[in-house]
Amino acid sequence: MIGAGLRWLDRLIAMTGKEFKQLFRDPILLAVLFYFFSADIYLAANGIHMDLRQAPLMVLDRDQSATSRELIQRFRMPYFDLRGELFDAHQAQALLDRGAVLAVLSIPPRFQRDLQAGLSVSVQFRVDASNAILGTLAISYAEEILARFRQEQALDRLGAGIQLQAVPRIEDRHRVYYNPNQNNPWFMSISELLTITTMLSLMLPAAAAVREKERGTIEQLIVTPLSPLQILLPKILSMGVVIVSGVAASLFLVIKPAFQLPIRGSLALFFLVTALYVFATAGLGLFIASLSRTFGQVVMLVILLMMPLLLLSGAWTPPEAMPEFLRRAMIFSPLAHYIELAYGILLKGAGLAVLWDSLLGLILLGSLLFSFGLWHFRRQFD
Amino acid sequence: MRFSRVRALIYKEWREILRDRLYRLMTFGVPVLTFIVLGYGVSMDVERIPFAVLDEDQSALSREYLHRFLDSRYFDFQGIAPDARTLDALLADSRIRFALIIPPRFQRDLLAGRSVAVQSLIDGIFPYRAQVNKGYVSAINAHFSTWLLENYLMERGFSQEAARRTIQPVRLETRALYNQAVRSRWSMGSGLIMLVLMFSPPFLTALGIVREKEQGSIYNIYASPVSAGEFLLGKLLPYVFLSCINVFLLWILATGLFGAPFKGDPVFFLGASLLFIICTTGIGLLISLLARTQAAAAILAMVLTFIPAILYSGLLVPVESMDAATRFQAQLFPAFYYLQIVWGTFLKGLGGSVLWDKVLILGFYALIVWLIGLYSFHKRPKR
Repeated sequence: MIGAGLRWLDRLIAMTGKEFKQLFRDPILLAVLFYFFSADIYLAANGIHMDLRQAPLMVLDRDQSATSRELIQRFRMPYFDLRGELFDAHQAQALLDRGAVLAVLSIPPRFQRDLQAGLSVSVQFRVDASNAILGTLAISYAEEILARFRQEQALDRLGAGIQLQAVPRIEDRHRVYYNPNQNNPWFMSISELLTITTMLSLMLPAAAAVREKERGTIEQLIVTPLSPLQILLPKILSMGVVIVSGVAASLFLVIKPAFQLPIRGSLALFFLVTALYVFATAGLGLFIASLSRTFGQVVMLVILLMMPLLLLSGAWTPPEAMPEFLRRAMIFSPLAHYIELAYGILLKGAGLAVLWDSLLGLILLGSLLFSFGLWHFRRQFD
Repeated sequence: MRFSRVRALIYKEWREILRDRLYRLMTFGVPVLTFIVLGYGVSMDVERIPFAVLDEDQSALSREYLHRFLDSRYFDFQGIAPDARTLDALLADSRIRFALIIPPRFQRDLLAGRSVAVQSLIDGIFPYRAQVNKGYVSAINAHFSTWLLENYLMERGFSQEAARRTIQPVRLETRALYNQAVRSRWSMGSGLIMLVLMFSPPFLTALGIVREKEQGSIYNIYASPVSAGEFLLGKLLPYVFLSCINVFLLWILATGLFGAPFKGDPVFFLGASLLFIICTTGIGLLISLLARTQAAAAILAMVLTFIPAILYSGLLVPVESMDAATRFQAQLFPAFYYLQIVWGTFLKGLGGSVLWDKVLILGFYALIVWLIGLYSFHKRPKR
């Protein structure tokens, strides 16, 4: 009994060794792995910003007074880039149409005089909202700038000597948790790392399995005393080890030094969860491998599967922006659980007491996907 | 160039697409499916943010204040927390993204004419969501403050009119042009047409040509009287034609499913789209020259079309906020110009008189890509 178990293990180890050898003899694959875990993550984290920076703005100042200029100069870098003055409304419309400016601020004539006379004045802010993300942010920042200006003007009106604390109003005190400066690379680097982990866990085991089909060596493997599990498990084991090591290298050698990412939770838990996720996704990869005949088809199916998986799990867009039914359906996505766990452990410093439900979801979905992939691939051997 | 040969090749290509399960899916299913999945998936309209409250005042005024959040469609109330530790735990567990702490003596201080600081705790994991969340909270606070001040001044003998004037010396009238409600579904619904037309034609054409190389069937072409130009035309025209059908389908989906308005000139839009398809089909041709295997072609197509279409077109990441080098890179891809044509015709109602320069660039691009492709494709491969 023990002898049989040992032989089983012996074969497994031999096959895993074979997979490692094959991988390390493929320089192109190694180069791709290196690129994804280093340069790709660095570029994505550094280059992708979903915030408003130096948005081109022009002003139509019909007042040309000290007060109007004071308001205008508050619309400045890093959010707005003041590109100069306009002199008529048609010109403004034409520039907005062409997309040459994102917004035009118009100040009415007699702005300063009316303000000093205690009248109510309106300032117009026209935004090109054809890109809704930019439109939302530009309006949000303009409101913020004007709110401050308005407050100062209102205090002037209430009379000299009145302090802000001496009127009944609500003071905003925002505290942003986990990423207090809303440092974008912290978010993007992890998001990209999860994306790459997903892609490679789908692709590498599937590629290793399909290569045997493509080259016909699968026939040789079938006539050996190896069981289908002994053929497939080493592929997943070896690729899993490679991917988890890649994640570790990327986290410690790229993300941490380049973006000062604080790692607040337990690293052991993070790597355990990553290994679990890699296995779950590898199951899906085996399913892909059983549908494909060539590596080319594997790549295409992976690309097809990746898009909905990434977009509907909250990797790139906030789940709060999804329709209600999709938000509910997210519990069926292993990536959604992994995202919750990864950010939870790395940035929030949360432990199992908080994250147990996501971990349970990942384990359940993972075993389901893994056994499904294994079953589907084994069917081909019969 | 003989048209009968081109026609035979087109027929052959068509049969091949129809006979292979995977290519059939790639050709007919994927573009529309991608469009629908991304149209629902890529939304930045943050709404119904789950939040909880710690009300340390429990007064009439604090409840009045809380109601401003309950009634907002931007927030989704999850309940009252007994203490601050509970709020922290809820945030850590992602059950809420935002917590509000109303301090004790909230009502007393406000009625006595003193300002009160209200703490909001925001989950900053996703910086964009945090920024939008902050904006919503500030807007509600500003509204409530105005209401408080107005009452305060009216109690001190101001008329309502005068009170309002004093508190609101300057109003900001924002006009969101072209997309009044600032719906990202309008932006994405139309903008995604660009994405689909950017990646699907190169994918299909590159795979179509490389498939023949990989399977060796290209030697039949090399040995036949078909010229290089005829071969490429026969190979590419079916995909150009299929992509034109896709433009119609996507147009219907964008306006029907995602509700985006189409304000511009349809003839101009279709013409510009055809030019863009010719452009991207040409990119597929270039990819097929570089790749020997279908796997390599698929990865190259991904890197050269899909990633620039998402990152460098202005669809998600504003081109204005890129640094100079990245902005230059963005302008090297046709996606950047076509996206402006799409948004220009759909949302802005523009036509050729404003967008002519973008069309010109696309035409120029198409010409160059096709010339390089035709020049480099040889029937007798160099060893």
